[in-house]
Amino acid sequence: MRLVLIILALLAALAGVALSILPFGSLALIPIILAFVLGLIAFQISKKAEQPTGLIKLIFLVTIVALGLTIYRTIFDENEVAVDTEAIQKDEDRIEDAKKELEDINIDE
Amino acid sequence: MKALFIALICLISLPTPAQNKAIGSKEKLVFTASYKMSGLMTDLAQVTMETSQVKTASSTLLRLKCKARTFKKWDSYFKINDLYESYVSPKTLRPYLHNREINEGNYYKFMQYKYDYKAKVIQSLQRKRGRDGSYYDVRNRLNFGSSTIDLVSTIYKIRNLDIKKAAIGSSDSFSVIFDNQKSTVRVTLLAKETIKTKIGTKACYKLAISLNNSDILKGSNDNLIWLTADENKIPVYAKFKVAIGSGELKIESASGLKN
Repeated sequence: MRLVLIILALLAALAGVALSILPFGSLALIPIILAFVLGLIAFQISKKAEQPTGLIKLIFLVTIVALGLTIYRTIFDENEVAVDTEAIQKDEDRIEDAKKELEDINIDE
Repeated sequence: MKALFIALICLISLPTPAQNKAIGSKEKLVFTASYKMSGLMTDLAQVTMETSQVKTASSTLLRLKCKARTFKKWDSYFKINDLYESYVSPKTLRPYLHNREINEGNYYKFMQYKYDYKAKVIQSLQRKRGRDGSYYDVRNRLNFGSSTIDLVSTIYKIRNLDIKKAAIGSSDSFSVIFDNQKSTVRVTLLAKETIKTKIGTKACYKLAISLNNSDILKGSNDNLIWLTADENKIPVYAKFKVAIGSGELKIESASGLKN
């Protein structure tokens, strides 16, 4: 039971790190919270059974790093669109092409 | 009986004005598109709807440009750079040319529709990129009649509907061409609601949009749009459900409005 919880907590913590690096926003909180809860249960079981808790502490550390990164990205990552000079030029060309296509039309109002 | 049926349809239809009263020539609407991932909305892209005047040798047209672009933070993983545009009559919003350019990662597609109202045909051009990187064109003449229009023109036509005269539950249908296929888009006025947006608290018309008469009247309205209940009828919020998931569109800013 203890080992299963540790493995699951470790996998959740790693998923939390991966999602906090990727721009998924608050989605990373799901595995982070899961890793924290599973780690906490595993920690309690280990303490009662007087088993080593080193790996669980490492899971907590990884979880805290992922949480910090998620909070940082949520606050500082802005929804910006890259300035695309090529697209601006292409847009102007597109209007000129459209003008040529529309040269012969007659608007019926 | 037939006359009664036609009269009934006229009564429950959304009034369609012939003249453009809602769309200005310097309008810019900016939206954030979000996609639902594991139950949480994640901001993916910026959608802009812009209008401008285009002068040709013989006439002045209104350019309706809709653009979708992924946010910078996503560009390293996947890039969406799509453009939908229509050149329409500024008075009646009747389209004369439509371009659609899809740029999604390695996928590229260009579609053009040129409307020939005299011959009642749409000249279609489809350009795709082959595996070797070369482009190839496919041209078609589509006999869809003069009432079939593209998606962009349809969106703006919906905005130009005289909704304030419509009763709750009334609806209207539009014949739309997409990927050389003709479909029917049905718009139903569900309610009048007040919602909070980035541009303030707005009284809105809540409309349900369905394609080819899907489940709209059974209460499962998956595609909804809120248009401001004023003369501009700008879309401020939309919820959509597609085959691969669901998402929403929220307005960020609006400028250059006609009224």
